[in-house]
Amino acid sequence: MIEIHDLQKEYVEEETTTRALRGVTFTIEKGEFISIMGPSGSGKSTLLQILSFLDRPTGGSYKFQGKSIDDMTDQELAHVRNKDMGFVFQSFNLLSRLTVYDNVEIPLLYSDVLPAKRRTLVEEAVRSVGLEEKLHTEAGKLSGGQKQRVAIARALVTDPNVIFADEPTGNLDSQSGLQIMEILESLHNKGRTVILVTHETQTAEFADRIIRMKDGMLESDKAIAVDRVRDNLK
Amino acid sequence: MLLRDAFKTATRSLTHGKMRSVLTMLGVVIGISSVIILMSIGQSAQNLILSQVQSVGSNLIFITPGAPSGKGFSPPASVQGIVITSLRQQDVDALQREPSITAVAPLTSGQAEVVYGNNNKTVSYQGVTADMFPIRNLTIGEGFAFTKGDVDSANHVAVIGPDLAKTLFGSALSPINKTIRLKNVSFRVIGVLSKGGAGPFGVDQGNLVLIPLTIAQKQLLGISHFNTIIAEASPSYDINFAKSRITFALRQNHGITDPAKDDFNIQTQADILSILGNITSILTLFLAAIASISLIVGGIGIMNIMLVTVTERTREIGLRKAVGATDNDILQQFLIESVLLTFAGGVIGIAFGAVIVGAIYFGINTFNPTLGWVFAFPLSSVILGLLVSGIAGIVFGIYPARKAGKKNPIDALRYE
Repeated sequence: MIEIHDLQKEYVEEETTTRALRGVTFTIEKGEFISIMGPSGSGKSTLLQILSFLDRPTGGSYKFQGKSIDDMTDQELAHVRNKDMGFVFQSFNLLSRLTVYDNVEIPLLYSDVLPAKRRTLVEEAVRSVGLEEKLHTEAGKLSGGQKQRVAIARALVTDPNVIFADEPTGNLDSQSGLQIMEILESLHNKGRTVILVTHETQTAEFADRIIRMKDGMLESDKAIAVDRVRDNLK
Repeated sequence: MLLRDAFKTATRSLTHGKMRSVLTMLGVVIGISSVIILMSIGQSAQNLILSQVQSVGSNLIFITPGAPSGKGFSPPASVQGIVITSLRQQDVDALQREPSITAVAPLTSGQAEVVYGNNNKTVSYQGVTADMFPIRNLTIGEGFAFTKGDVDSANHVAVIGPDLAKTLFGSALSPINKTIRLKNVSFRVIGVLSKGGAGPFGVDQGNLVLIPLTIAQKQLLGISHFNTIIAEASPSYDINFAKSRITFALRQNHGITDPAKDDFNIQTQADILSILGNITSILTLFLAAIASISLIVGGIGIMNIMLVTVTERTREIGLRKAVGATDNDILQQFLIESVLLTFAGGVIGIAFGAVIVGAIYFGINTFNPTLGWVFAFPLSSVILGLLVSGIAGIVFGIYPARKAGKKNPIDALRYE
C-alpha cells in the first residue's frame, strides 16, 4: 500500500539546510498497524506529513497504492487525502464554534458524497466513537477525550483506507488515552491501516510493528508480539 | 465543494462574529447609501429642472444673439460678457409675418436693486411685451398683467414675483398700486405672479420683476436690441419647419448667405431639454463619483478585516486542506464571505439611502411646497448599488482569499 525508497526531506532557510529525512526506506501493507517512534527532531513527524500527503519529499520515491506522489498534482493529493486518508491530530483541530455534527461533516463537504447521504454517514461515524448523544453539542464544550473521539469520527467519516494519527494521546489523561487507542485498535481490527506517531512506548505497543527513527534515518523496524503487550496494558 | 455548502459555511462564519461583520459592513453601507442618495437627488433635480422647462410649453422657440454653439454646449454670448446686438425690432416684425409662428415676444434683461421704503433686494428684471405672459404661462396671483398699451406707452408699471412681494411689503401689506424703485426709476406694482421657485434658464421667478420692454430698453438699459426673442410655433406646423422658417427670415434680415456666419442661435424646447439633461446627468455622475470614494474606503476596510480573518483562521484553513479542501475550495469560501459582506452592506445601504431620500423629499416639500420637488429613486441606482457592492466584494476579497487558498497545510496546522 505504501512504498517509500530512499526518502529525503530538506528544509532550506536562508543559508541553512536542515536534512529532516536522510534516505528512509520501508513498505507498509494494507491493514497494518504501525507506530513510528523517536526522540524530538528524529524526523518522525516529517515522515508522517509526507506519508499523509501533507508535504512532498525533496528526494527518493513514494508510491501510495501503486501511484507515485511525483506524478500527482496538488489537487490530486487533496483528493486522495479526502478519499483514502483520515487524520487524527494531537491538538484535535476541531472548530470549537461548530457542533460535533458539523465538525465530522467537514471532510464530506469536499467529497462527492451527496448531501442526502451525509447525515447517515456522520451519524454512523459519531455512533462508532460512542458520542451520539453529543451530536449537536458545540465541540468547544467537550472534554479532551471526547474531542479526540470526535476527531476520530471525522477521520472515519469518508471511510478511508488509512488513518494517520499524530500523537493522538499526547494531550489526554491516561484513561482517555487508553480509550482512544482502543478505538484505533478496533479500526485496525476492522481492516484499516493505522499509522501512528508517538513518543510513548505504551501507546506505540498497540501497533503490530514499530519503526524507530533517529536523526532522520530509520533506526529499527520491528514487528512486536502484540497480544501479549496489550494484555499487559489492560 | 458544492456552492450551497460554501454559502452555508460562509454564512456561519459571518454570523459567528456578528458585531465584527456589522462593523465591517458599515463602510460599504455608507458608501452605497451615499452613491444612492446623490444619484437620487441628482435625478430629482434633473426632473425638477426639466419639468420647469417643459412647463413653459413644448412649442416655444428661443432665439438668442451670437453664433450657434454647434454640437457641444457653450453658454450664451451674453453670459460670457459679449454684447451682441444682432436681434432687433425688424426681426420681431419679420417673424410676426411668418404663418408658422403664432406669437413673438422679445425680451431684455438685467440685474438691479429694487427698493420699497427701507426694504431692498438685488433681483433680475426683464423687459417684456404683454404677449410674454401667455407664451410663458406666467399667471397672475394678485392684480393683473400689463397690456400692449402699457408697453406701447412705456408706462411705469411692474409685475413682481411672490417672494419679492413678501420681502418688500411683508405679508400684511398688499403690493398692488405701491411704487417701487428700480435703478432709481419708479414703477407702480400692478400685479404679483402666482408661482415662485426657479423658472426656466435658472431665473428665480419668485424674485423676478417684469416691466414693459420699452421702458427697460430706453430708461434702464439704454439699448435698442433684445437679449432673447421667444417665438411660439403654430400647432398646425411642425416645430422644425417653424425653426427653419425663422432661420430663413433672420438670415434674410441680417444679410447672411453663409450659414456658418449666422449671428443668432435658435433652440427649441427639445434642444434645451437635451442640453440641460446632459448637464444634469454629468453633474449626477460627478456626484456619484465623489460618493464612490467612500465606497472604496469601505472596500479597503473589508479587505483589511478579511486579511485579519484569514490570519485568525489559519489553523482552520490547515485542517480543511488536510481533510481534502483544495486551494480553490478555500479561495471560494473566503471570497463568498467577502461578497456576502459587501452585498449585505449594499442591500442595507440601498434601504438606508431610500429612507434618507424619502426624508429629503418630505423635508423639502414641507418647507418649500411650491418647489415641486419629486421623489426619485431610480431603479438604475438600485441595480448599480447591488452590482457595485457585489463587485467590491470580489475586488477587495480576492487578495485575502487567494492568500488563504495558498496557505501551506503543514504551516497552517502548526500556526499558534
